[in-house]
Amino acid sequence: MTSERPLIDVASPHPPAAASQLPPSQPEPPVRADHLGFSVEVPGPFRPSRRDQPDPSASERELHEGGEYRAVAVGEPSPEFAGNAVRTAKYSALTFLPRNLFEQFRRLSYVYFLAITVLNQLPQVAVFGRGASVLPLAFVLFVTAVKDAYEDIRRHRSDRRENNRLAAVLAPQTAGEYLPKKWKHIRVGDVVRVASNETLPADMVLLATSDPTGLAHVQTVNLDGETNLKTRYAKQETQLSFSHDGHVAGMLHCERPNRNIYGFQANLEIDGKRVSLGPSNIVLRGCELKNTTWAIGVVVYAGKETKVMLNNSGPPSKRSRLETQLNRETVILSIMLIGMCITASVLAGIWLLNHQRELEFTQFFREKDYTTGKNYNYYGIGMQIFVTFLMAVIVYQVIIPISLYISMELVRLGQAYFMGADNDLYDESSRSRFQCRALNINEDLGQIKYVFSDKTGTLTENKMEFMCASIHGVDYSSGKPACGSSVVVDDLLWTPKMAVRTDPQLLKLLNNDSSNEEAKLVLEFFLALAACNTIVPLVLDTRDPKQKLIDYQGESPDEQALAYAAASYGIVLVERTSGYVVIDVLGDRQRFDILGLHEFDSDRKRMSVIVGCPDKTVKLYVKGADSSMFGIINKSLELDNVRATEAHLHKYSSLGLRTLVVGMRELSQPEFEEWQLAYEKASTAVLGRGNLLRSIAANVECNIHILGASGIEDKLQDGVPEAIESLRQAGMKVWILTGDKQETAISIGYSCKLLTNDMTQIVINNNSKESCKRSLEEALARTKEHRVASSIGSPYPVLASESSGTVLALIVDGNSLVYILETELQEELFKVATECSVVLCCRVAPLQKAGIVALIKNRTDDMTLAIGDGANDVSMIQMADVGVGINGQEGGQAVMASDFSMGQFRFLVPLLLVHGHWNYQRMGYMILYNFYKNATFVLVLFW
Amino acid sequence: FIFDFFNARLHFGCSRMQMYPLEMEGNSNPKTTNKPKYSKFTQQELPACKPLLTPEIVIAAFALIGALFVPIGLASLHASRQVVELVHRYDASCVPVDDKVGFIQNSRTDKTCTVTMTVPKYMKSPIHVYYLIDGFYQNHRRYVRSRSDKQLRYKSAAHLTSDCVPEGDTADHAPIVPCGLVAWSLFNDTYTVRVNGVVTQVNKKDIAWKSDKNNKFGKNIYPSNFQKGRLIGGATLNESIPLSEQEDLIVWMRTAALPTFRKLYGRIEKDINANDNVTVVIQNNYNTYSFGGSKALVLSTASWIGGKNNFIGIAYLTIGGLCLSLAMGFLVLYMVKRRNFGDPSNLSWNR
Repeated sequence: MTSERPLIDVASPHPPAAASQLPPSQPEPPVRADHLGFSVEVPGPFRPSRRDQPDPSASERELHEGGEYRAVAVGEPSPEFAGNAVRTAKYSALTFLPRNLFEQFRRLSYVYFLAITVLNQLPQVAVFGRGASVLPLAFVLFVTAVKDAYEDIRRHRSDRRENNRLAAVLAPQTAGEYLPKKWKHIRVGDVVRVASNETLPADMVLLATSDPTGLAHVQTVNLDGETNLKTRYAKQETQLSFSHDGHVAGMLHCERPNRNIYGFQANLEIDGKRVSLGPSNIVLRGCELKNTTWAIGVVVYAGKETKVMLNNSGPPSKRSRLETQLNRETVILSIMLIGMCITASVLAGIWLLNHQRELEFTQFFREKDYTTGKNYNYYGIGMQIFVTFLMAVIVYQVIIPISLYISMELVRLGQAYFMGADNDLYDESSRSRFQCRALNINEDLGQIKYVFSDKTGTLTENKMEFMCASIHGVDYSSGKPACGSSVVVDDLLWTPKMAVRTDPQLLKLLNNDSSNEEAKLVLEFFLALAACNTIVPLVLDTRDPKQKLIDYQGESPDEQALAYAAASYGIVLVERTSGYVVIDVLGDRQRFDILGLHEFDSDRKRMSVIVGCPDKTVKLYVKGADSSMFGIINKSLELDNVRATEAHLHKYSSLGLRTLVVGMRELSQPEFEEWQLAYEKASTAVLGRGNLLRSIAANVECNIHILGASGIEDKLQDGVPEAIESLRQAGMKVWILTGDKQETAISIGYSCKLLTNDMTQIVINNNSKESCKRSLEEALARTKEHRVASSIGSPYPVLASESSGTVLALIVDGNSLVYILETELQEELFKVATECSVVLCCRVAPLQKAGIVALIKNRTDDMTLAIGDGANDVSMIQMADVGVGINGQEGGQAVMASDFSMGQFRFLVPLLLVHGHWNYQRMGYMILYNFYKNATFVLVLFW
Repeated sequence: FIFDFFNARLHFGCSRMQMYPLEMEGNSNPKTTNKPKYSKFTQQELPACKPLLTPEIVIAAFALIGALFVPIGLASLHASRQVVELVHRYDASCVPVDDKVGFIQNSRTDKTCTVTMTVPKYMKSPIHVYYLIDGFYQNHRRYVRSRSDKQLRYKSAAHLTSDCVPEGDTADHAPIVPCGLVAWSLFNDTYTVRVNGVVTQVNKKDIAWKSDKNNKFGKNIYPSNFQKGRLIGGATLNESIPLSEQEDLIVWMRTAALPTFRKLYGRIEKDINANDNVTVVIQNNYNTYSFGGSKALVLSTASWIGGKNNFIGIAYLTIGGLCLSLAMGFLVLYMVKRRNFGDPSNLSWNR
């Protein structure tokens, strides 16, 4: 969070005050993105993931400072909270007609049509036949109403089906008897038992599971599209209480219902003890229980208060630039229409005035009806002028292209169909078509000037592959395709799903003499890889009954790659529960107790586990980014080793590999006890638990003994270099915003041909505002120099910079961005960046990505496009004019937030250069055609 | 609304939070493939022609248009000049008194009027006789709408007079056939033509459109209650002749688009030589005086472009000439200052 503060202030239209004056507690927990002063509203589910940030969240603040919480007695259904019945249907039989009409008439065009139709009903004014003028509007209204009604009936049905599903609920008076109950009758406080593969009926706090340690796995594909299994825990206290007497009694205090899927704060009073609960203790409605025979939980939020229902909102709506312009033109046309009507009525008045005395007998006017002696359809000149005005409105109404809006929507629908049906945009590997999620910005695709791309998962496949390792200062990176190793469990052969290339030398070292000091270190290295993670091994059946596949499921693809790597070298992670892991070490199954786990977070940039080894020693395994690891490594002991590792790291990252450093420390008994005490205290702390845990982690993660480093390859997607080349040829600027470190980012830049050797690189990498300012000024001077130099050669600067070969590339890192985006320096950054044809931003936080997009978007008229695949790209995707999500490995959040989604980065080329171009051109033609057609039509009448 | 439908479906999908069931790995059933079907239509590969406007094509197109239009213009101008047309305005000269409206409204005054014209050129038959009225807004909204086409066509629809007010029904609620201001204001001047003193028949058969006679006016519908109101608008009709044979009415009912218009009165099916005297005896009945209009008699021959009309020929000549000169100009530009085709440096934003 600290790194985001400055950004918030800068981006906010009312500088610092807006951010700092926020009230400490709000009825709805303030969401990170809400602080932004950006113009884009960030709906709840698309908020950047906060999994890795256990700091005191807004919701926690609310729970303790605001005093707003709900109390739930476990096992006692309380009727005061919303029931579990859900209602997605909009109408009932009674309210259908008024509500539906109201919804429909919220569109301006319908109101306009209605006004014209009503005018047409006045006998004096009627131009077209009365019935005929009602027909088109009535038809459209009717068809829409029928469609709405049909959909609503479907919604009613699905609601009913959902509400009538059965769940096993603890009957209140009996002891441990679970009776089936309809979902709609479940109330907050009910204790529900869910079996494997069943869907959860409401948001529940886990009380106990079939796993003795209280572990449960859930799949949240319905919630956020992520297919991997997430681990949830029941608290030991409740788990124990349940296993003793078959039920749990207690009082639960939790925050009020909110939209944050990744946050939950509560505490449970059980047997006079207060146990605190976090996001890992709650399972949400819509998830499925997996790999766990049963789980028992108490309902805390039901029905419309569940997080999934609160997050139930449509895709974001953006307005295309063309449409904005069209609206402006429409205003002009309206003025023109009024002008024409006034002219017509004034002229009519003048004519009437001139012929006033002749009107009575003139054959073509005949003001009097002689059978009755009254004036016929004539009300005096003033009224006649007014009637003429209304008639003119009806006659000239076509000049306002209201029907154009409907045509545009139809055209966009067709374009969306064409884009979705395009074979060139179909991704074979993920079997996903192109999807248009926002229907009204198709033509903006043809106007893109800036492309902001995430790196991981967007340019690269995000399929990590373990490539090389540096262990104790020795580089092992000559990989050979390996057969992979298997483990025999209960006469069955368990094989890891993915084999990794192994280094034969390393393999030999590992297998032959394990007494060797070096081999021991190697073993420790791989043990650290296998143990220090949050991977869950899943055992899958194969066709061969003798064989099973181990599939490592985890939230981080890096960890998966490392676990597979360790498995390929013979250290196979076989089983994981919350209390221990079973690792097959070269054919020998060993159980390691997991005594404590300090989760990865983006501030520490490392994670650690404390493991009780079979030989009764307690070891701390740490792995993390090199920058954070070298700070805690005991350099005095093994300087050569550290130096060699550093050199290897540099080599790996210049190869474009993602690097991690692994270290360990043996904990002495007093040290361990001291830690354990603090850890237990912190884990049950209610206030500021995240900070406490972090400081404990910082205390124990010191004096680390370096084991080695790993290099993981993040493969480029197909066709990325070509795609970037094409985009640049088309005059678009491609910026890469990545969380990787500078060397990795630059090497990826080279491998995707964004950077070339003849480019002049301007690197801004500073740690203070002053130095940032200095380097920016320098950079500005260099760009000016460069411009002068190139403008001598050729009169066309654009062409010159392409041909003269000295293209500028700007590389900025996240630290400097903190100082730049905060201040007036961003103006200078903007100047420098627009001069450079390539911009690479590394080590940027999600909100900084959005800040960079905003930097361009707010200062130029150029269209921006952001493309990304992960939760960290969501803010950027929503900030840009056009957001594209990649259906990738990192789950569905980016896609949910995006306007368009597709399978591969390279599809950007056909999307922008073919479809975007066509969409824009065709839409433009259609609008112009419509304007001219209407003008011809009306002006002929007018004349 | 189709858009709406699509949107709502999306929305609906979201509300269930099942946007796209991501397939799990290993589930490779070929049947569930999501690949779009190939067709030339969906891939937008249908053959299309979009001509590039190269200088050559543009010059050729302009030259072609010029080459086509100039002869057409010349031919029609020539034809128009062959037409002999005599126009004689008589509204002022045929009323001897100052109170013109009073004169014309008085049914007892003698409204006979004689007009003499000398034919400048040989006129070949058929010679069309038109009446020309100026300042009569037959296109006025309340006039145009004041008719009942159903009533003119179908016997059973005689009562459909609601659009015809104030000339719909008589005072005792009997429907007027034909109703409405249009029929009511039927032109009622008559012409008797003498060439060199010899009475020449003006043939009033087949002056209306055939389609109007056959399709718009019923053969079994006879005028009734017509022109019986307090205010007489124009001609009366012979109640024994069906509407489809009342050709003057049919001609009149085809309303003119502009306030100055001529309508066919009849045809003289005899040639008239140059310097012959044409004397027309006019029964000057029609009241154009109340609205300040004018009346004229027109005798005209016809050519393949119709009556005398120089406009078409001039228009063709103008456009043709413009195109030819443009073609020439472009050709010169193309020869003198040729540009490379597709050079991006000529784009406005690159200059």
